[in-house]
Amino acid sequence: MKNSIALAALMLSLPAAAHSPLFDCFDNGDSTATCEGAFSDGGPAAGVGIRVELASGRVLMQGQLDEASSYTFDIPDEEYSVYFEAGEGHEIVLFGDEIY
Amino acid sequence: MNLVRALFSTAILLTASATTSAHFLVVHTPEMLLGRSANIDMSIVFTHAFDGGPTMDLPGIENFYAMQKKAGDDDLTRIDLMDYLEPVQWGHAEGKSAFVAAIPRNAMRSLGDYQVVVEPQPYYEAEEDIYIQQITKVIMNVGGAPTNWDATLGLATEIQSLNKPYTNWVGGVFRGVVLSSGEPVPFAEIEVEYLNYNPNFEDRRFDADASIEAPLPGYEHVSVRTDASGTFSIGLPKAGWWGIAALGVGPATEHEGKELSQDAVLWVQAKEIN
Repeated sequence: MKNSIALAALMLSLPAAAHSPLFDCFDNGDSTATCEGAFSDGGPAAGVGIRVELASGRVLMQGQLDEASSYTFDIPDEEYSVYFEAGEGHEIVLFGDEIY
Repeated sequence: MNLVRALFSTAILLTASATTSAHFLVVHTPEMLLGRSANIDMSIVFTHAFDGGPTMDLPGIENFYAMQKKAGDDDLTRIDLMDYLEPVQWGHAEGKSAFVAAIPRNAMRSLGDYQVVVEPQPYYEAEEDIYIQQITKVIMNVGGAPTNWDATLGLATEIQSLNKPYTNWVGGVFRGVVLSSGEPVPFAEIEVEYLNYNPNFEDRRFDADASIEAPLPGYEHVSVRTDASGTFSIGLPKAGWWGIAALGVGPATEHEGKELSQDAVLWVQAKEIN
């Protein structure tokens, strides 16, 4: 849980630097979640890699943000995280319990 | 004699105080910039911003919406917010008609800018025998991705931001352009006022304590004019919300047979550097 808070804080602090990646996910209320990305200069994040990973480290889903800079997936039944792969040093992780 | 003089002076001061604070359509939520999307509680009150009153009955709202642009989109999307409006009585003692809106997180959840627009019905100001309509914008952002904070919306009258309205430091400068029917308005009269009493959404009233004191009533609002190109600059000397009202600049000049002052209002927020 401590790691979760630290990473969430990192995610919120990232927008301060120029061209930093921004990322958030929402529970759609129908057992799916949608993630959206952007950059801090207002640029889109279409094509940026995203993966859904279980706590065990097993990669459950892997793909790219679509033209609308979004990615929708079925919420796993077990503990999971979503990784936004915006380049080296710019990976953002959002834990499943932070997605609401 | 001294007593009479003192009373007379007090009366003058009271009169001055009543007339120096300007009308402002307050459209307020605690933070313009949200780190993540969240439920948004908004208070919409027609009052005198520096004095926190007297508050006027807001007759109604014609349009309440947000113009959004996602990162990478070419066009703006309109999010109608009328369904979230709730009429309330604002202020325990005065009990004036106002509105609140509890906007759910899902309505404005994507990363980017949201230009929130309130177009109220004209208010009849009996003292001046005129109507006042303040078309008001508050520019919010979710997640920090700037997308359309500087866009014009094609409103009858509006203030176009030349600085991001939601990320200002105290001591900084805010600039904008006053537009009427899309055209810059040269030498427009602008009043700038600090939102001196925090709107309390839960209690439907302004907090009792003021944030700052004016040394004289004349300091309650700052008067500025646009330059020949319709542009203006203001300083932001205190953390909080600052209202900018361009007076009588809209194309509509008459309502129900009386003079109409169609104003453009924009709110900006400043934060302390810690």
